[in-house]
Order: sequence, then structure tokens, then C-alpha cells
Amino acid sequence: MQVPEHLHYTEEHEWIEQLEDSRIRIGITDYAQDQLGDVVYVELPEVDTEVAKEDLIVEIESTKSVGEVYAPFAGKIVAVNDAVAESPELVNSSPYDEGWLAMIEVEGEIDTSDLLDAGGYGNLTE
Amino acid sequence: MNRSPLHQTHESLGARFVDFGGWEMPVQYDSVLAEHKAVRTSSGFFDVTHLGRFELSGTGAVSALRHLLCNDIDRIEPGRCQYTMILNENGGIIDDMIVWWWDSETFWVLPNAANQDRVMAMFADQPGCDVQDLQMRTVMIALQGPQAPDVFESVIGAKPGRFRTATAEYEGGVLSMAGTGYTGEAGGEICTDPDTGRRLLQALVREGVTPCGLGARDTLRLESGLTLWGNDIDETTTPLEAGLGFAVSLDHDFIGRDRLVAQSEHGVERKLTGLVLSGRGIPRSGYDVRSDDGGVGTVTSGNLSPILETGVGLAYISPPTDLGTGVEVEVRGRWVRGTVEDPPFHKERG
Repeated sequence: MQVPEHLHYTEEHEWIEQLEDSRIRIGITDYAQDQLGDVVYVELPEVDTEVAKEDLIVEIESTKSVGEVYAPFAGKIVAVNDAVAESPELVNSSPYDEGWLAMIEVEGEIDTSDLLDAGGYGNLTE
Repeated sequence: MNRSPLHQTHESLGARFVDFGGWEMPVQYDSVLAEHKAVRTSSGFFDVTHLGRFELSGTGAVSALRHLLCNDIDRIEPGRCQYTMILNENGGIIDDMIVWWWDSETFWVLPNAANQDRVMAMFADQPGCDVQDLQMRTVMIALQGPQAPDVFESVIGAKPGRFRTATAEYEGGVLSMAGTGYTGEAGGEICTDPDTGRRLLQALVREGVTPCGLGARDTLRLESGLTLWGNDIDETTTPLEAGLGFAVSLDHDFIGRDRLVAQSEHGVERKLTGLVLSGRGIPRSGYDVRSDDGGVGTVTSGNLSPILETGVGLAYISPPTDLGTGVEVEVRGRWVRGTVEDPPFHKERG
């Protein structure tokens, strides 16, 4: 399983990439896509939606089950990856890159102290 | 947990496993969608060793089949197979199964894995019947797809006709075969000893047949509208409610007949109905359904149809509704539009 070094992770198998201007990009991990199996639908939020921390923002349906993605921080959805709505299989084939899900402009400081680093997440999924 | 004697072969093919009715069986090798499409366009094989199977023989065998099962074995003859059900007194489906008729007093009965012991015991209690468990000493392989008949010819040198039995010698072993399956495609199911089964599986791999797991088996059967016992049918549903009237013969006496006679005279209060969604979303078991003509119900099976690339499902709707009626399925708080359609869902209609 791939666990890129430059990302942060949650125990719910989401990855978080810190960008400039207090923005973050999120997606699900290689482990998560592998557990879900073939992804067949991705339900993305509307751009400009205000979200609270731990709000359900993305639903990912596979042939096996439904995966839920929660906002890791409060903020506003500033972009979504329309490519995965068209081609849900990108979540399987490229979970950290072409299969990203949403971009959030975080309200206030981005506090990553509750998140896992690559090493910590790698241990979790071993 | 039981394991198929073919387990190691699956491991070497990269299978992932799932617990299914006390059996650790392959759920997928590469991708459920890829395996599904292989079976719709070329051919795939499934290890279905977990399926129930026993031999029924004796002077009382035919009488027992006619008494316990709602389809009439007298509709067929030796060398043929029949889809049928065993009902309770109230017409509820204790199990559905295929019967293979070998010769006058010898049958194979193939119940669902979970019901093997119960169904075998019910037959054993009938006068003049001997039953012999086949499940633990044989393997069973399903070979399915539009190219499956060609694979039967090229690898085995024989193929069973549709709903017919056949036997063949294969590398020192004997294959017992029937032209049956659970995918809606051509092909058949093969029962043999574990060593012969291993050699056959390797030959199928060399022939380029796609290994398929229970994940694809489920999406294939659903897309074809084939019911799954425990999901779509059980002891609280009757064959007529489930749309399985083709496998009911009211012309003979059998357990549960009275209820079916009443239902065929007065109609059923609910009916298992095919749904094809036009909106985005996948119906899942337990989701609520409402039809534009006022019917309500619950989804019993649902998934993506990999061929239509849209959500499809089966749901009991009460009162029964007509083909083409608009419906909505509640997918986690959102009502998604769809239409009542007759499976198989993936076949072109015109």
C-alpha cells in the first residue's frame, strides 16, 4: 500500500494535503480504496458549501459498500474534482492524485496535531 | 471455517476471500467490474464448492420430490435439470434449488449452502429415499459466459445442453455437469473430485478464462434478475410474490400448495419488482421504495449494473405495480428516481 510522506492522514483513512492560503485538499487512501473495491459513484459536495468539522461531505459507493468522507476541519468547499464524478474509477487507480475529492478553505489555523503522519498511518493499516 | 480444496490455486491467482455461509471463498481476484464484464462478453469461472449438493436415490425419490417441491419433476425427464423450491405449510420458501435428474431413481439436489443440512434431512425423512452428502468430498466449478460453450468443447471435449446433465472423463477423473448457472449467461456447472478439479482449474486459467469471485457472481445474478435466498426470498415470501410462478406447478399436491392456490385466485398483496434508477445512486438492501401509483416497499437486493452503469435492484412493492411505473428509492435521505422494469436489466429492449 502506498502512503506518501508529504500528506497527513486520519484514522478514517482520509488523506489531507496542506496547500497555500490555508487551503487543504482531501481524498481517501490507497488502503481505503483497496478495502472498498471498485468505486462506481462519487457524490461530491457543492462548491461554496460551508462545512463544520466532521460534516459528511463525500459519499463513495463501491460494488461492495458505501464509504463516507468527513470534513477534517471547518471551512468552505472551494473546489471539487469533477473528474471523479465522471470517472469514479480514478479513486481506485490514483487515490492520491487524479482521485482527489475536494478542496477546503479552512477557517482559522490549520492544526495538524490530531492527524497522523505517513509513519503513523502506515502502522495503523499494517 | 470450511475451505475449498481449490483454495491454494485461488491464492496463487491473487484471490481475496470472504466468509460465505461458513466457507472461506474467493470474493474477487482483480476487480468485480472486470470479472463481471468478462462473463458478459467472453467467459469466467467460479469456484462454487460451497454450494449444497446431495444425491437422492431410491424407489421413493420421485414421490418425495413431488411431495416436497412446488415444481413438478414430472414436467422433465432423466437427463434434464429443473429449478424448484421447497416450501413451508404457509407457502414460504424454505429454500430454492436445482434438481439434476441422472436416471430413473437417481437425482442430485443442489440447495443453498446454508440450507444443505435442513433440506437433506427433509428428504431423508421421506419413505424409500436414500440421501448421500456430496458437498464435502467434491468440488464444484461454474463456467459461464457467451464463450463458455466453446471452452467446454476445447478444454473438456463435451458440453452440457441448457438445463441438461452430462458426464465426461477428464484426465483420469469424471466430471458431472449440468447446463445451469447463476449469471444469466450460457455455460454450465461441473462437479468432480478435488484432484481433477485442480487440474481443470489450471487448464481453464491456461485457456484464458477469467477467474471470478462471489462479488461478480452477485452483481451478475442481480443484473439478470435472479433471486438470492436470504435476501430476496425466504420463509416469509412465497414463489408467487417473488415472481417465481414459472417454477410452480399447481397440478400436483405439495407442501404449501393451498396458500399458492389462494394467491393465484385472489392475487398477491406484494410483488418482487425490478427497479432501474435513472438518478445517481445505488439501491441497497433495506432502502425504502415508493411508486408513483401509491405503492410502497423495501429493496431486497441492489447494486450497480456494470453493463447499464446505473443502479438496479429488486424490491417488494405493495400493492403490485405495473412495468414502466415511475418509482423512487430513498438513498440515504435522498429520493432517487427510477422505473419499474423486468429483468434481465442489461438486455436491450426494443
